[in-house]
Amino acid sequence: MTLSATDFAYVAGLVRRESAIVLTPGKEYLVEARLLPVARQAGAASVADFLSGLQRRPDTTMHRSIVDALTTNETSWFRDREPFTALTDVVLPELLPTRTNRTLRIWSAASSSGQEAYSLAMTMQQALPAGWQYQIMGTDISTEMIKRAGTGEYSQVEVNRGLPAQLLVHFFTRSGTGWRVNPALRQNVTFQQMNLAAPLPSMAPFDVIFLRNILIYFDVETKRTVLRNVGRLLRPDGYLFLGAAETTIGVDESFERVAMGRTSAYRPRVSVPAGAVGKG
Amino acid sequence: MRLILRRIVSQLGFEVIEAEDGKAALDLLGTVDEVPKLALIDWNMPNMNGLEFVIAARDDARLRDMTLVMVTTESEHGHIVRALAAGAHEYVIKPFTTDAMIEKLALLGLVPTGANL
Amino acid sequence: MNEHMTPTVEDLREIADQVWKAYLDPEGVRPLIQVDTAVTGTEVSASVSLTGAWDGHVLVSCSNAAAREAAAAFLGMEPAEVTEEDLTDVMGELANIVGGNVKSMLPPNTAVSLPHVVTGSANRFPMTRQIAELAGTWIDQPFSITMWQSSELAEVPA
Repeated sequence: MTLSATDFAYVAGLVRRESAIVLTPGKEYLVEARLLPVARQAGAASVADFLSGLQRRPDTTMHRSIVDALTTNETSWFRDREPFTALTDVVLPELLPTRTNRTLRIWSAASSSGQEAYSLAMTMQQALPAGWQYQIMGTDISTEMIKRAGTGEYSQVEVNRGLPAQLLVHFFTRSGTGWRVNPALRQNVTFQQMNLAAPLPSMAPFDVIFLRNILIYFDVETKRTVLRNVGRLLRPDGYLFLGAAETTIGVDESFERVAMGRTSAYRPRVSVPAGAVGKG
Repeated sequence: MRLILRRIVSQLGFEVIEAEDGKAALDLLGTVDEVPKLALIDWNMPNMNGLEFVIAARDDARLRDMTLVMVTTESEHGHIVRALAAGAHEYVIKPFTTDAMIEKLALLGLVPTGANL
Repeated sequence: MNEHMTPTVEDLREIADQVWKAYLDPEGVRPLIQVDTAVTGTEVSASVSLTGAWDGHVLVSCSNAAAREAAAAFLGMEPAEVTEEDLTDVMGELANIVGGNVKSMLPPNTAVSLPHVVTGSANRFPMTRQIAELAGTWIDQPFSITMWQSSELAEVPA
């Protein structure tokens, strides 16, 4: 019933490559238990069958399901914290003077169960001056995740993760055994299913895009497609935030990296045509 | 619960002292040379409960720098508001995962850098 | 979502899921499996009483083996290292956490008692009726969480 050494090594290699998580020997039981639902959903009779099929014919969607099944279950609020601090301390002061319509649009481009989108909403709610509005759009490839995020409901265990108690009491109400996001916050967030690697619907451009911890799941070509698709929807003076271990360098030269406090962000590179006249 | 918390914070480099209720805690704090950096406080305790302890601790200039974190099953909205208003710095609801506890402590700047998950 | 007066089996299920995720089964490999039939063979139980707007008890019961495993998981030790005191502490804490979370769904002026742990046959609560039972097995051991509501004083037959 337990995984063969080859199968375990295959999974460990995959997970290491795509998420930097290390599966040490001894965790075979974990892999077996977590992959069984994935294998079943793929129509395989067992995890072993599922994995041998995959090794014969690689399938990046399946790779993603495997990594998902083996990484931590709960997402954190304000994940890594630095990007949210950078948003408040650097990005807002820079953008606010230029947005005459006093509205900011932010895209949480791999919103999963919604914590990032609502974290962005809480940040905006607290940092924007009176008279300003914001819109957060959360998208994910999974319709189920979109539905889940839309409910705004979170369990006790989930609200413990990285969410300051002050914000919990300010923005959430008890709901059944857990908590629910208040309407005041919920009304500024929309969720929509979207595949970043496919042609995207046309939308008004965004001031800030969070594309965090999703590129790691893709091969280089798909990374390029996603960054190109996403980049087209970013305002020229807007900012793109990636995950802590991710970069556009070597993937998409149309972005340049900008250091921000203890993290960095990316913005569209402004290219000056050859022979351009200098500013007076 | 004290054993679990002891395990988590010891791994983060803390030395741990324990008391079984709020009054015993205040008595103990009166005898130590060094005021603890962090207090993990349950709500429901005999003699002096967690809320009363928070109020007493915030009233004592000597304990001013001690970070107060409630760790409790009391999870009604009103309870949390009261604890924060009384001076608790953070609030962890039971059940909590180890990661969650460490993240809360990191929020408070109490996790040594390099101890990230 | 679930805006009702009395917690249901589904609520007990959600609370149990949280407890398992946090302490007894963080890796998601040995969950509490819900069963349809009533649980038998429990040898240790812990309960908390709720009083105020709602009166009753929340009871956590399981076999000795399950209690030992739970204590081991909770305290990060091997089952063989678990002492009687550890077992009582952990069972009490389980009742405290489940009971506390049930309480937080009830009207605000409900109080929860300190936990009461007994070994041997399950706690008997006079003048109560069972209103919800989450019956299950955990690592092939009986494990149940039940809620008992205090009844009105019954008419004594003449």
